Amino acid sequence: MIKYTLTRAALLLLGLLVASVLIFLSLRVLPGDIAQLIAGTNGTPEQVAAIRERLGLDQPLPLQYLEWIGGIFRGDLGTSLLNGSGVAAELAQKAQVTVPLGLMALTIAVLFAVPLGVLSAMRRGHGDGTFLSIGAQTLAAVPVVWAGMMLVVVFAVWLGWLPAQGFPRSGWNDPAAAIRSLLLPALTIGIVEGAMLMRFVRSATMQAIGQDYVRTAAAKGLTRTTALIRHGLPNVALSVITVLGLQVAGIIVGAVVIEQLFSLPGIGRMLVADVSARDLPKVQGELLVLTGFVLVVGFAVDLLHRVIDPRQREAP
Amino acid sequence: MFRRTSLAAAAVLAAGALLLSACTGGGAAPDPTATTAPDPDASAVIRLVLEPGNLDIRETAGAALDQILVDNIYQGLVSRTPEQDIVPALASDWEVSDDGLTYTFTLREGVTFHDGQELTAQDVVWSLQTRKDTPEWSDSARLANVSSITADGQEITLTLTEPDSSLLWNLTGRAGLILKEGDTVDYQTKANGTGPFTLSSWKQGDSITFDRYEDYWGEPAKIAEVVFDYIPDNQAALNAALAGEVDAVTGFDANLKEQVEATGDFELVLGASTDKGTLAFNQAPGSPLADKRIRQAIRQAIDHDALVEALGSGQTLYGPIPELDPGYEDLSDVAPYDPDAAKALLAEAGAEDLTLQLTIPSFYSTTIPQILVSDLNEVGITLEVNSVDFPTWINDVYVNKDYDLSFVLHTEAHDFENWANPDYYFTYDNPQVQDLFAQSLAATDEAEAADLLAQAAKIVSEDAAGDWLYNGASVVAVGTNLTGLPSINVNERLNLAELTKSNG
Repeated sequence: MIKYTLTRAALLLLGLLVASVLIFLSLRVLPGDIAQLIAGTNGTPEQVAAIRERLGLDQPLPLQYLEWIGGIFRGDLGTSLLNGSGVAAELAQKAQVTVPLGLMALTIAVLFAVPLGVLSAMRRGHGDGTFLSIGAQTLAAVPVVWAGMMLVVVFAVWLGWLPAQGFPRSGWNDPAAAIRSLLLPALTIGIVEGAMLMRFVRSATMQAIGQDYVRTAAAKGLTRTTALIRHGLPNVALSVITVLGLQVAGIIVGAVVIEQLFSLPGIGRMLVADVSARDLPKVQGELLVLTGFVLVVGFAVDLLHRVIDPRQREAP
Repeated sequence: MFRRTSLAAAAVLAAGALLLSACTGGGAAPDPTATTAPDPDASAVIRLVLEPGNLDIRETAGAALDQILVDNIYQGLVSRTPEQDIVPALASDWEVSDDGLTYTFTLREGVTFHDGQELTAQDVVWSLQTRKDTPEWSDSARLANVSSITADGQEITLTLTEPDSSLLWNLTGRAGLILKEGDTVDYQTKANGTGPFTLSSWKQGDSITFDRYEDYWGEPAKIAEVVFDYIPDNQAALNAALAGEVDAVTGFDANLKEQVEATGDFELVLGASTDKGTLAFNQAPGSPLADKRIRQAIRQAIDHDALVEALGSGQTLYGPIPELDPGYEDLSDVAPYDPDAAKALLAEAGAEDLTLQLTIPSFYSTTIPQILVSDLNEVGITLEVNSVDFPTWINDVYVNKDYDLSFVLHTEAHDFENWANPDYYFTYDNPQVQDLFAQSLAATDEAEAADLLAQAAKIVSEDAAGDWLYNGASVVAVGTNLTGLPSINVNERLNLAELTKSNG
């Protein structure tokens, strides 16, 4: 187990290193530069050159990369070229919106996907099971933007129950208002991600139903449902954890879209704004942290898997 | 891509239908309680579109900064009204010598910066001199003709090497802003000016808040707090308005008039603007558009009236100078809509099977490229639309001049100079125009300067140096409980000194 953990951790670091090179290079392919944007359409070439020099953009690329990576090893995620704000501080600030949003979305997804997924598997062949299954297929195909707009129209504009956009300016000082403003966006992501999760729970449950140990348990006198809950669902849970790990990436992508739509001051909106300002040092810092987060979640899921599932521990 | 677009369109339609059904029975009569007295402690929320990346008014370009910071936070010796008249600001009055070489300003007494420091004549001299001497600061070159800046008591004197009819105007903008000498404020995220509002907070990616400056030298602001809420998406802005989360929506889509007015809480106000929807032609040698007949054909192939109608606001414009600026004249005769004439011109130029690229920043509505594609198709020109993000546009079109046609909304007032600059991305080079513009700058009489500009603008239009698709309008949905919100040219300046809000 220790050997496995160390190998897996080394892979994680290697992955981060590769990601850092890819992020750095892929951003450099973007046309346009921040010095020109700061100087604007009436800026003189001298003005642009002076700004570029002040920002250190006249340095060769390998040097810029090494400075960035060197900074990270010293615990410095970089600073914005545009306004000098630190990436770490900005991320911490914006995470106050995005992390609760992601957690709420994940909770909503699990809360409706797991029971409905199990139910639709157990009711396979019946009308309600088919209905649930088709419903999940349909919801999973809905674009996040469209789902969000529909929810806004119904719950904000029409019924006036929830705010249509924005986050309270007082932030979490007013928790009720903060939660209210995150509810619609979280519901939007939660429904779409939950629909995907539900399909997965359904197929995992159906697989469990067909397993020998469930049938054996049923044969020993347990009802089919009890047998499934006692012996089948722990196995379903294993698969669900894996899928949830994968869905973290999906939720981050969803947050980028949804934060635009709901004008939420979170990481997704910051990322889009920084890309369109060509504030590349800031973008690469943010992307690296997000990539790191997804990789760490994957790492944790793998470890958890081994802890929960004894069969895997024997594998090399 | 197509799937996403059509889904988005379907969603907008569905949302619109739901909105309409939700609003029936509401009636459009304004709320009568809205006429209650203004509340001096009120806070107004104004939706803006484009958030600045930093607040450094010294060197960061962009209308997003001028729009909120100039007049409200930072001031110059002189300012301009929405109607584009030059008025006193930190100078109570001024005098220009007959030869146009000496400008004398009388600085007001008792002006303080937001940090409590007093404004001195030396601050003014330092600000203007530093601006002139620092090429990194925007509009530094606009003070090029100023040879000396001196102070004697409260008298500030600017001496010029040659007359410059644009100097006063330039002093109403970035070039004339007065800062505290040696100020240590972090200009990128903070501000220290002399205006009626102080910068209270900036939540990046969300909003900027101004508070009334209680020690303001002039009439204090009539509202305690103004919040600029940055909502890029028009649909989200409409939702915010309908849900009562904002008090005014600038940069609105005039086609959404009925929806926003349906509850009676908002009124759509259309004001004039200097926004020029400019279709640039790359006429550098070697380009098909170097042929004037082809440029003229494109202008005559475009149905400008239909375009304005589709946009729901604004008016036609057939030359480089809009009605609010000096030198405007109606040039609609130069390029009337006439597809047959356009076809004839193309045939004459031997260009019946032309394919051109239109490079357009992606944040503009798709209405414009759609109309251009279909209008030009009518006369046999295939237009390929290349929608790019703004930094790419700056790089490809503005810096590298690598384009055929390009569309950008040029919002700045008094910007005819770009047509007299052969190095600008317009690639238009006509010595006669450059000469007329130089003469206009050197003129000491306003009327004469405007007349020379008009002559130059006419030549630019006759040369089909570009096309002007429309002169935009300032479209603002204003809460019926607000008064004093400017309605003219709000994309460029949004002076909030007169803004009031009642609790109605």
